[in-house]
Amino acid sequence: MDLISVNTFWTIWLLVHLVLSVGLIGALTHQAVSCAMPVRQVAGPPGFVTRFRAVPAAGYATAICILWVLTFIAGSYIYTKYRIYIRIPIEQAQYWKTQGFFDFKEHVASIGLVLLPAYWYFWKNAQNPEYDTPRKVVTVYLAVACWFLFIVGHVLNNVRGFGS
Amino acid sequence: MSTQATATTTAKTSSLATSAKFRTFAITFAVAGTVIYLLCLQFNWPLFTYHPAVNRVELGWGPGRSGEGPAMYWYGWTATTLVAGFVVSLLATLLPESTAKKIPLILVWLLPILAIPYLVWDLRQWWFHP
Repeated sequence: MDLISVNTFWTIWLLVHLVLSVGLIGALTHQAVSCAMPVRQVAGPPGFVTRFRAVPAAGYATAICILWVLTFIAGSYIYTKYRIYIRIPIEQAQYWKTQGFFDFKEHVASIGLVLLPAYWYFWKNAQNPEYDTPRKVVTVYLAVACWFLFIVGHVLNNVRGFGS
Repeated sequence: MSTQATATTTAKTSSLATSAKFRTFAITFAVAGTVIYLLCLQFNWPLFTYHPAVNRVELGWGPGRSGEGPAMYWYGWTATTLVAGFVVSLLATLLPESTAKKIPLILVWLLPILAIPYLVWDLRQWWFHP
């Protein structure tokens, strides 16, 4: 701890949380778009949107589970500092809705966590039509949840993050 | 990683993906986990309470004490959910396959969707704070 300041230490962890979440949001968005709007046979060269959704979605499942868990752990670790150094000033500034959205974020992250084994199972059995609907809905749910978590985290960082 | 180790890992992964017991576990964990988490919120059932300012963990629910900073319950709610969800899902794997297959798949995604309006309502103190 003597090598770096306390602020630097927690900033590094916040960045680790950010980098993991960027990887997660990218993978989940590709996968959600590919299963919600699968590529059909296209005449002519594929455009950006077609290439964006033409990914081998099933291959993302394990990586997404690992990234969700790692992002969750990193977020849980920095949450202790958030509770004291961010939340208390946010409450003092009376940013009630901002605080509400953070609480919403923590609940959504936990619910996402319990969906992961089923999500993984559905993708590993993607050839089974019985799982088509739950696989699509759970994947889109996790992608929307991830975007929500990301945006709320970003806004909170703007309210009281770096340099505050 | 050696070729043998890679082959072993792949075999384990694929056997998990084809296992009927893992199917029951995963589906039950999603359904029970969502319900248990919402119950933890509603009835305030954290497995433990963490007091970050003094780095103290207290079993079950504990109030924030004067001079000790705020109390954190989210870790405890999540821990309750994971432990109870794991136990319930493990018990579900003991059911006969024909019974386990009757757990409706729709619950895996319907309950998390229905959880959203519940959470909005649960957090109403922040939306309507004067």
